[in-house]
Amino acid sequence: MNNFKMLRPENFKEYSIAQKTVSGSKLPFAGGTDALDLLKERILQPDYVVNLKRMADLRGIQEEKNHVRIGATTTIAELAGHPVIREKFPGLQQAAESIATPQIRNMGTVGGNLAQRPRCWYFRGETYHCLKKGGGMCYAYVGLNKYHAILGGGPCFIVHPSDLAPMLIALNATVHLLNAEGKRRKLALKDFFQLPAQNLFSETVLQEGEIITHVDVPIPQAGNKNLYIKFKERETADFALVSVALSLNMRGNTVKSGQVVLGGVAPVPWVVKEAESLLNGARLTEALAEKVAQAVVQRAQPLSQNKYKILLTQNIIKRAFRLITEA
Amino acid sequence: MSSWKPLDKMTILSHYYPRIEGPEKVSGIARYTYDLQLPGMLYGGILTSNVAAGKIVKVDTTRAKQVPGVRVVLTDIHPTGTIRFAGEEIAAVAATTPQALEEALRNISVEIEKNAFVVSTEDAMKPTAPRVFADRENVRKPRVREEGDVEDAFRKADVVVEAEFRTATQVHACLEVHGSVVHWEGDELIIYDSTQAVHGVRKDVASFLDISPRKVRTVCVHMGGGFGSKLRGGRYTAIAAKLAKAANAPVKLMLTRRQDFESVGNRPDSIQKIKIGATKDGRLIAMDAVSYGSGGISGGARVRLPHVYKIPNWRYVHHDVYTNAGPARPFRAPGSPQAAFSMDQLMDMVAEKLNMDPLELRLKNDPNPTRQKEWRLGAQKIGWQNRNRKPGSDAGPVKRGIGMAASVWMTGGRDTKAMLRIYPDGHVEVRCGTQDIGTGTRTYVASVTAEELGIPLKKVIPLIGDSDYPYSGASGGSTTAPSVAPAIKNTADKAREALTELISDKLGVDADEIQWKNNSIRVQNKTLSWEEACAFIEDEPIEVHGKWTEGLSSAGVAGVQFAQVAVDTETGQIQVERVVAVHDCGLILNRLTTESQINGGIIQGISYALLEERWMDPTTGTMVNANFQNYKIVGSRETPEIEVILYDEAERGVIGIGEPPTIPTAGAIANAVYNAIGVRLFTLPMTPDRVLEALSQQRS
Amino acid sequence: MAQRNKIEHEGVTRRDFLKGLGTGVLGSVVIPASPLVKSVKAASPDVEELAGTVSIQITVNGKVHKVSVEPRTTLLSVLREQLQVTGPKPVCDRGECGACTVLLNGKPVNACMVLAVDAENANIVTAEGLAEGGELTEVQQAFVEKDGLMCGFCTPGFVISATALIKEKGTKLTLADVKAGLAGNLCRCGTYPKVFEAVLTAARRIEEKGGGV
Repeated sequence: MNNFKMLRPENFKEYSIAQKTVSGSKLPFAGGTDALDLLKERILQPDYVVNLKRMADLRGIQEEKNHVRIGATTTIAELAGHPVIREKFPGLQQAAESIATPQIRNMGTVGGNLAQRPRCWYFRGETYHCLKKGGGMCYAYVGLNKYHAILGGGPCFIVHPSDLAPMLIALNATVHLLNAEGKRRKLALKDFFQLPAQNLFSETVLQEGEIITHVDVPIPQAGNKNLYIKFKERETADFALVSVALSLNMRGNTVKSGQVVLGGVAPVPWVVKEAESLLNGARLTEALAEKVAQAVVQRAQPLSQNKYKILLTQNIIKRAFRLITEA
Repeated sequence: MSSWKPLDKMTILSHYYPRIEGPEKVSGIARYTYDLQLPGMLYGGILTSNVAAGKIVKVDTTRAKQVPGVRVVLTDIHPTGTIRFAGEEIAAVAATTPQALEEALRNISVEIEKNAFVVSTEDAMKPTAPRVFADRENVRKPRVREEGDVEDAFRKADVVVEAEFRTATQVHACLEVHGSVVHWEGDELIIYDSTQAVHGVRKDVASFLDISPRKVRTVCVHMGGGFGSKLRGGRYTAIAAKLAKAANAPVKLMLTRRQDFESVGNRPDSIQKIKIGATKDGRLIAMDAVSYGSGGISGGARVRLPHVYKIPNWRYVHHDVYTNAGPARPFRAPGSPQAAFSMDQLMDMVAEKLNMDPLELRLKNDPNPTRQKEWRLGAQKIGWQNRNRKPGSDAGPVKRGIGMAASVWMTGGRDTKAMLRIYPDGHVEVRCGTQDIGTGTRTYVASVTAEELGIPLKKVIPLIGDSDYPYSGASGGSTTAPSVAPAIKNTADKAREALTELISDKLGVDADEIQWKNNSIRVQNKTLSWEEACAFIEDEPIEVHGKWTEGLSSAGVAGVQFAQVAVDTETGQIQVERVVAVHDCGLILNRLTTESQINGGIIQGISYALLEERWMDPTTGTMVNANFQNYKIVGSRETPEIEVILYDEAERGVIGIGEPPTIPTAGAIANAVYNAIGVRLFTLPMTPDRVLEALSQQRS
Repeated sequence: MAQRNKIEHEGVTRRDFLKGLGTGVLGSVVIPASPLVKSVKAASPDVEELAGTVSIQITVNGKVHKVSVEPRTTLLSVLREQLQVTGPKPVCDRGECGACTVLLNGKPVNACMVLAVDAENANIVTAEGLAEGGELTEVQQAFVEKDGLMCGFCTPGFVISATALIKEKGTKLTLADVKAGLAGNLCRCGTYPKVFEAVLTAARRIEEKGGGV
């Protein structure tokens, strides 16, 4: 790691003062489980690490009238263990528990999970000056790409590694941001992410100095069922090869509305746009699942070594529908 | 020829008892090489090449030398200046802190004239491929072994099966990286090393530095895993010694995790094309095999064909292939897991073609009498009779199956010496220049002594892991137990004789009037306790020297494993649910640690079967997964239920069991997968993508 | 200090913050966030900045230490290189293997992925600090008895994770609980089956004794 300096704001005000008055590159830092990896590998060499851990307003889970507010520096373990989450959002609890290891879940944060950088082995390797790092080529495209994108790729073929994001998007979460000027904005979490074709260098719309303050998740209407399935190559601990977040608002056996969001297959959490029209008013059957699965993979463009993800994605989607039917 | 006492007379050996350094290890106070901190010690490190092939043109250390805390920068550490793989040493630094070390290494600028390279075995075999060594072809001269008349036998065969198998390069990935702490005392070099061979390191490092081995001492009290990769002295140790000499201070030089993945060993990959012929009554009569494999810039990729089965006519042609990748080193049963993966699958393929039970086919063709018994026992324990008769016939997406494979290994004992002292207070100290690589060696050095002298284990202080102790060889080839245990027994026997002689002197009785019972010594009509007997020793402890002797150990070990798997045909995931392992262990020194060894072999075998694969980037020639995120090894949830059956053959004496249990696992799993889904996997590791691909091919 | 007060009047005040934590009324006295940080060099007078070497206090295995660290120094580095607490092992340096697992305020974390300044005033427990009065804990004892170790390099991390698991989930553990609790610890020798046996045995014994971990 380079010998960075550290800023430790204690509130939003101090945060923006830090951003405005201190010159030099700055890396927001909370749980550190992603940031330290990038720092150790020298993918990032900031002048300052802006440590958010003392900002009490960023932490904790609160149940409001219509939504649950999840602070950005709430740890994954706190999220997974929270009774409100368990009760209202089983899918979110499943997503949280599927992340990494018990140790990492004690450190890693919700905000960090959403803003984490891709795990592409070329992006993470100091040796490879890839497109995302300002270089001239995507090494994965010509090289080793078994873990890479089948949807939405190009010119960079990373997959987004977050487990929380697909589930939170399926639950219609809103993300709240604070920028370097101290200004706040909010947007639907699905709009928080962007494809490499839109911006090669950032997977999110976060501007320089902007941080996530919290995520609001609307409390689902009666009849909602949600779940998250993550398929890992190594069950013990791994990033997703493919994951599916499913949230369905049901009336009896009929789907009123619903969302299907995929992890591990695209540079962003992949919202299955086709699902909306297929789901609305449909009966929850195997045939429906098959249709959704088909719709997804029709658009897939596999690379040399990841064709298997097409079949895998179809099968995991169908499994998710099967499990939610049984639930 | 000496012999062990009968099993029913043994009170420690052949029983279950915990390893003696357990309390230190569970409380974190056991010190490994990585943990050592000597006064004034500097942190050493190596700058390695991230270029796969080229010529070092210029190394500029100006800026590195200016980094505060830097004490020495060396640039003359590469023997030739020609880089042949990413991971070769270019320069070295010693600094006062790890941070200064890292900073300095980053501030060395290196100019390399790049050459074309090749990192995949198949690519390297093409005539147009860049040459790894300018003066040699990439595909080395084949090594041919042949018995009988292969062509004639194939003509006579009723059935012939043929397949191509591929296995991936596996990296040792020891949790403690390779490295040393070195310290010069005058012209004598003391090396604390994470090693499997304290004597070997002394010899190798002395040779690297061109000094007398007499001037080198190696110490290894605890070490964090080797699996074959730490059998020799490392160049990194010699580099550390050079840094220490130049800085006039002790130096700790541990490789980085990336360097450990890249440069200090692997199990080479293999491409095996094998044809088997059998008669219709199920006798194998012919094998024709060709293999290719790359140990990077070294050889060592040969597969141990034809494995365990008796085939009267066979030919095996092997080609080592050079690639621009780190050299191979022995890895737990070199060449054997690859052979079990191919040959035990071919056995099942022959059985299917003959419509014969695979177990029956093995019993017909396995010449080893021990394994004949083991096959039957294992089949019974796993429930072979209840298997899927028709592969892939389970209903639902998750399908179960059972498979089996065989193990064979040489082992055997060899030269080892030991020294033992009995002190007047009854304590016994045993010195032996072996080392404990996690296998329980230290514990049986004590327990063999205690057993032979009839004293409690806690009276014995085993001292190992020091090249100043009497010679013992490297902990490799599963030879340690059959080498060390007999030497200790021989030494303990001599100690007893010496004590007898002393008592006979002191009491003025004939030696043959002194009788050793289990925990006491009868002299005429009196009974002496061990302590009373030792009280005759005055100032000078009794000191005896002993050595390995014939008759207490054997060579050759046989084993079988059965695996039960569940294959999720929707995801391609293979879960190993249960393994039954039957291995003959001769005289078992410690049942508890032997079970652990067998568990460990199986778990590494599962890891090899399902997860492990070194990925080399074709564009840069570097390893993309030199970390534990993407070089995946088995964790808690991949661990199945394991039933270990120690097949006692105490009359054979001590035999080694470190390597045999990792041999059959991948083969047994592969056969179980076929039994589960009716599709055969010919490539390791059997990852979900490959399983799904195989299933898709079957459907289309 | 004047600057700080100004900020407090403008927005979220430290008093509110402290009230939120239940520390009671403190009047207008501002408690410095980090009394032990020595070289606070203010690039901005309003925000604490750590640069160069700072001095922090951490409690390791019940003993309070003052150590000098850089902002980039990891907890693992402080434990091993400064305090010679070498039970936590450096293996992957990326939070992938669990060999450096320690309890930080009671929770297992990877010491390689914690910055030392974030462990300021924290209570750290390593494998060395579990045994009281030199007597092994039930977990440690069971690891020894059941042979839940081979080369032992991963063992201190496993022992900490197992201890944390029983503390968190209690003594009625299933094999699946144990596997989940130990999912952040890798062993290359393959001791897992004996580790599972050790953890289940320790949990049973603790339950029988009705005592703590």
